[in-house]
Amino acid sequence: MSDILIDDRIRDWVFLPIIIVMFMIQMFRGLLTKYMDNRKTAQKVTSKAQVAEMIDKNITQQSQRLARLHGLLPDQSFKMKRAYLCDREQGILTKASQKPAKDPMQSMSMMNPVAMADMLKQNLSGIVFMALQYQWVSYFFSGFVIGKVPFPLTQKFRTMLQRGVDVQNLDVRYISSISIYFVLLFGGLQKIQQLMFGDDTDEFVDDTQMQMQMQMMGMPTMPSFGQQNDPGKLFIAERTRLEGVKHTFELNKSSDKALKSLKRFLIQ
Amino acid sequence: MEEPKVELDDLEVNQDRLKQNTIQLKNVRVYGSLNAGVIAGILGMDGWIGIGIYVAIFFIVSTCLAIKMNFKVKEYFKSSYDAYYSGIGTDLLLFLMIWVIFHNLVNIL
Repeated sequence: MSDILIDDRIRDWVFLPIIIVMFMIQMFRGLLTKYMDNRKTAQKVTSKAQVAEMIDKNITQQSQRLARLHGLLPDQSFKMKRAYLCDREQGILTKASQKPAKDPMQSMSMMNPVAMADMLKQNLSGIVFMALQYQWVSYFFSGFVIGKVPFPLTQKFRTMLQRGVDVQNLDVRYISSISIYFVLLFGGLQKIQQLMFGDDTDEFVDDTQMQMQMQMMGMPTMPSFGQQNDPGKLFIAERTRLEGVKHTFELNKSSDKALKSLKRFLIQ
Repeated sequence: MEEPKVELDDLEVNQDRLKQNTIQLKNVRVYGSLNAGVIAGILGMDGWIGIGIYVAIFFIVSTCLAIKMNFKVKEYFKSSYDAYYSGIGTDLLLFLMIWVIFHNLVNIL
């Protein structure tokens, strides 16, 4: 089938506006998240359950730090610290792992209103804009062909890429406007935005896209508060990890390392 | 009990510098895939040839990086796999997006 010629006005009034609008909404969303983050104040730990959670988290952090940085400690102090955590009867990790498992309802921490507000804000800055853009594009720009993808695709993609266009034998390469929306969405306007507007730790921007991808794949998005339904297992894992650490004090190796770097320096 | 996995820990690798290096690597790769998309779109490449352009430019970027590092990967990154090959899938979507946009702008519309 011969190539379809597409009117110039489609490019001026459909293609470029969709790109420009999506890019601007992306930047606006970035600014919005930054603004909301600035206004977030530290939460006070009030209820007793929360205090227990914080204690657990701190214990985990302490054991992980010990496992990571054990080379900085001489033998005696490492053994003391490890015994404090891992001792069979009195170690903190053994005591903590013997606590009963929390039931999942409580550990969702939905009762914490500040955390729920946080989740709502994250959803607002992510999903609502997506749905809004989808509605806008499909309301105004449906029913015609907007462009062509450069690579050959199978017939299975026809329903996704040609929504609204009812011509049966049209080449699957011709796409409707909603598919350019999807291409832009998944393609990552975020990365271009990060390139252009600074690279100061925009980790939370990636989060919404990851969340969205997880939703699309059908998995439910768990609130990522580090909640474990069974904290006992976590502590037992930490304990086995600590007990398996082969401890060497880095200062013992320092004379060897100094010799090596001196040799390398002198040989050059 | 099995042997714990030997990996570079915090004492052997300077974490801040590694993070800076990876950020720069990501930036360079994004530039590379943007350029690849523009080239593939404007020249009107079709199908698999376009993806071949992306892979070619990816390896050109990796080679330039290697020349800049004087081939001593261990001083700048954790492993040569990380520095040269690891990001090829993530930037592919970016390349596809730019390719579709420029192909449409220049050739079709």
